[in-house]
Amino acid sequence: MTKEKKLSITIDNRTVEVRPHLTILEAARTHNIYIPSLCAMEHLPSYGACRLCVVEVDGLRGFPTSCTTPVEDGMVIRTDTGEIRTLRQEVLKLLLSEHPASCLFCTEQDECKDYQGTIRKAGVITGCRYCPNDTRCELQQVTERIGLTETSYPVYYRNFPVEKNDPFYDRDYNLCILCGRCVRVCNSVRLNGTLSFKQRGKITTVGPAFDRTHLEAGCEFCGACVTVCPTGALSTKTSKWYGKPDKEVATTCVYCPVGCTLKLQVRKSEVLDVLPDYNSALDHGFICVKGRFAVPEYVHSSFRIPVPQRITPLGYNDISWDEAIAEAAERLAGVKPDSFLMMVSPQLTNEDLFVAQQFARQIIGSDQIGSPLLYDLGADTGPFVNLVSQSSAFDVIDDAEAVLAIGFDSTYDYAPIGIGTKKAAQRGAVLVTINSCDTNLDMLSEMAFTCGTEKWSALVGLLTGASAQGAAPLFPTWKKDIAGIQGIFKKSTRKVIIAGPGLLAAPQRTEIIEKLLKVKEKGGWDIIVAHPYSNLKGMLAMGAFHGIKTGAIINENGQAEGVKGDLSKFDLTKGCTVIYAVGVSDLDSLPDCDYLIYQNALPSESQRRPDLLLPAALFTESSGTVINGEGRILPVNKAVEPYRSAKPDWWILNAIGERIKKGVMKYAQVQSVQKEIAKTIKGFPGVKKRLEFSRIDVKMKTPKGAPKMRKQGQFNYRGIPLEAVVKGMKAIEERIELISGSNRGAI
Amino acid sequence: MYKETILKKFEPRLDNILYILHELQDNNEQHYVSKEDLKLCADYLSVPYSFVHGVATFYTMFSLTPRGRNIIRLCDSPPCHLMGSGSLLDYLKNKLKIDVGETTKDGVFTLELTSCLGVCGVAPALMMNNATIGKLTPEKVDAILEERRKSL
Ligand code: SF4
Ligand code: SF4
Ligand code: FES
Repeated sequence: MTKEKKLSITIDNRTVEVRPHLTILEAARTHNIYIPSLCAMEHLPSYGACRLCVVEVDGLRGFPTSCTTPVEDGMVIRTDTGEIRTLRQEVLKLLLSEHPASCLFCTEQDECKDYQGTIRKAGVITGCRYCPNDTRCELQQVTERIGLTETSYPVYYRNFPVEKNDPFYDRDYNLCILCGRCVRVCNSVRLNGTLSFKQRGKITTVGPAFDRTHLEAGCEFCGACVTVCPTGALSTKTSKWYGKPDKEVATTCVYCPVGCTLKLQVRKSEVLDVLPDYNSALDHGFICVKGRFAVPEYVHSSFRIPVPQRITPLGYNDISWDEAIAEAAERLAGVKPDSFLMMVSPQLTNEDLFVAQQFARQIIGSDQIGSPLLYDLGADTGPFVNLVSQSSAFDVIDDAEAVLAIGFDSTYDYAPIGIGTKKAAQRGAVLVTINSCDTNLDMLSEMAFTCGTEKWSALVGLLTGASAQGAAPLFPTWKKDIAGIQGIFKKSTRKVIIAGPGLLAAPQRTEIIEKLLKVKEKGGWDIIVAHPYSNLKGMLAMGAFHGIKTGAIINENGQAEGVKGDLSKFDLTKGCTVIYAVGVSDLDSLPDCDYLIYQNALPSESQRRPDLLLPAALFTESSGTVINGEGRILPVNKAVEPYRSAKPDWWILNAIGERIKKGVMKYAQVQSVQKEIAKTIKGFPGVKKRLEFSRIDVKMKTPKGAPKMRKQGQFNYRGIPLEAVVKGMKAIEERIELISGSNRGAI
Repeated sequence: MYKETILKKFEPRLDNILYILHELQDNNEQHYVSKEDLKLCADYLSVPYSFVHGVATFYTMFSLTPRGRNIIRLCDSPPCHLMGSGSLLDYLKNKLKIDVGETTKDGVFTLELTSCLGVCGVAPALMMNNATIGKLTPEKVDAILEERRKSL
């Protein structure tokens, strides 16, 4: 690429060099020159709605809006003359003539603030609360910068009813200034198209077509509109009225293997809200409803286990950590290795998983390490984890020519992968979908094969060329389509298969997986697996898996033969002396045992009652790392103190382990765990590039007691369905149920 | 199906959206663009429903609710106001016993307001379906209504 020639422009008597193809506003911003603006925003197409960004340009008539005027070489621009200032104030006054403005212009604001702190015995209203966005509002800031302190126009109140019927956020279009940011982010960034302006003139509002609710209209509840809204028109139900957060902590979402960056908005010891990071190279800020809205209610749930508890005939008794550790150690000491079972969730951090396997292997001397995965997948576990370890980097979609999405829908999860796919289709890549119901990608697809899961294997074989036979007697109506797509796929070189969670609900999932692996090897396909087991790669890397040692699966020089696992003798039905369940909450499926330790943040919904409850800290309350679906080590950062007495999983395991056998673990901080991991995985956790995973060949029969195709709730974290604690997720689950029966990636 | 033929008259390009919507409305017995029409149009142009809905609600020439056989559009712009369109509006409302945006019980008339019709010289003015009529007086309005009723 040839280097672009810089342009020289003069802004406010300063001559500066800028890149071409910028607008005047962008050029000014790169040189820290402030021009007020309410509708322009980085990452959004220019629009020119608010007219506050007007400037003077020599040779141009009138006052052009800087957000829509491109820079040209030699331009002379003035951003702050007396005339412009008056003009901006006038524009702002007009804009505010339809916006309740008491928070801006009330003359008693100062006194009011003094009184708001008054302590009374009974609740009283001290001062007005006129807008949920007060104190963190961009319109307030801009008004202050422009220096407007009063207005000469009466405020016309439009009197729209406030819309509160959708989950997660409320809408009060009386506060809307029609900047169009929400419409643009929904259409141009999320490529979703739920929002548009409706009507015109003073009755203009924003919303979906036909007066449906957002839920009915296919809104993803990604919250992007709420994030970009400069006013209080759109507000998050759980964090409105809260005012400014004290700090922001960037961390990684642990709800799925994408691993989006989340910017936690923290005040005191509470995560108020979660915002996307539009500068994240991994997810570009395309977080989904789970990351955006399902964190605060989960981590601050009132059902959290507050302190360690021991079962008694009369219910649970609170005990101290000391007592709990002593009791656990006593029950575990001397337990026979094969009558012990460690069950871990693949949604724990690497550090927790590492310490858990060390606990089983070095403290108890047992390799009995299982996870709920085995119950979901049974005999298909082996092929599935192999597929996951073979999956590609996510950015292969960015220059793909052909994409085949199987059992994949990105409305409510895996959003960055879904948006990447939509973008690919928009720039001309051939997109083909296979699913048992309509998906959010169908509109952009060349062909959407909607058929029962039992036919997927045959279809995948035909389309990718994994199966040899040509025309398909199975699909008489699609004969032509299939042939056409076979032709396209044959000719394309950069091809990606997205294997979604729906794949796990297909009866012949092993057969499909085998076909995928075959075409990956021979047909030049890349494969991305979107599955619900967030840190599965971390689990494999840490060796928190029966028969796989820490680090064994990391293929450093790309020449390892592959790892052999063996689950053939692993029996999930055999009674035990002690079961230790970490982040696993389906206790009814576990085998019988004399003593059951339940370590989690929320109580299990199972019938079975554990003997000991240990309160675990959540991912907002402890630090660590995860390995995402493409093999990147990502940081999970502590933002608030753990709830009540809760402790990080690794801490609890370490404490009990130390009590049983002194000197094996001795971890005082998470860094010491990381140091220990680094002994086998070089550079951990500082490795920047993707970790290469070896092939994994797991020898197995159907593990005894593993029921096939067990249906779980749609979205789980540490075994707890999100809908159990996050109110809005219930509405989402119902919506999915309605659209798909229960077909959509039922696992 | 005949709606398909309407769509097919135009290339599936976004700049045809207004032509398509007009054609769909003109071919609808009740002189409006139905929800199904909007969906057809959106699918044909491969744009979200919300987009087509936004366009259709922006332009007053489109109605999203069924309308009567004759559509009266009284000009609501300042010159007509000065020449008494306000009292004419009251007159029409009383006479037809409907409010703006409504249709008479017998389905003969729908009353709407419109921005400037460009015939300020003969203000106050209205459009009866596609005909523009100026220099209105209550008597003239009566005559127009009568004439339309007769032609049923
Ligand atoms: S709702 Fe907010 S973002 Fe959307 S147009 Fe109104 S002010 Fe702008
Ligand atoms: S796509 Fe996955 S990682 Fe990203 S916010 Fe959603 S659940 Fe979290
Ligand atoms: S920022 Fe330029 S018009 Fe709004």
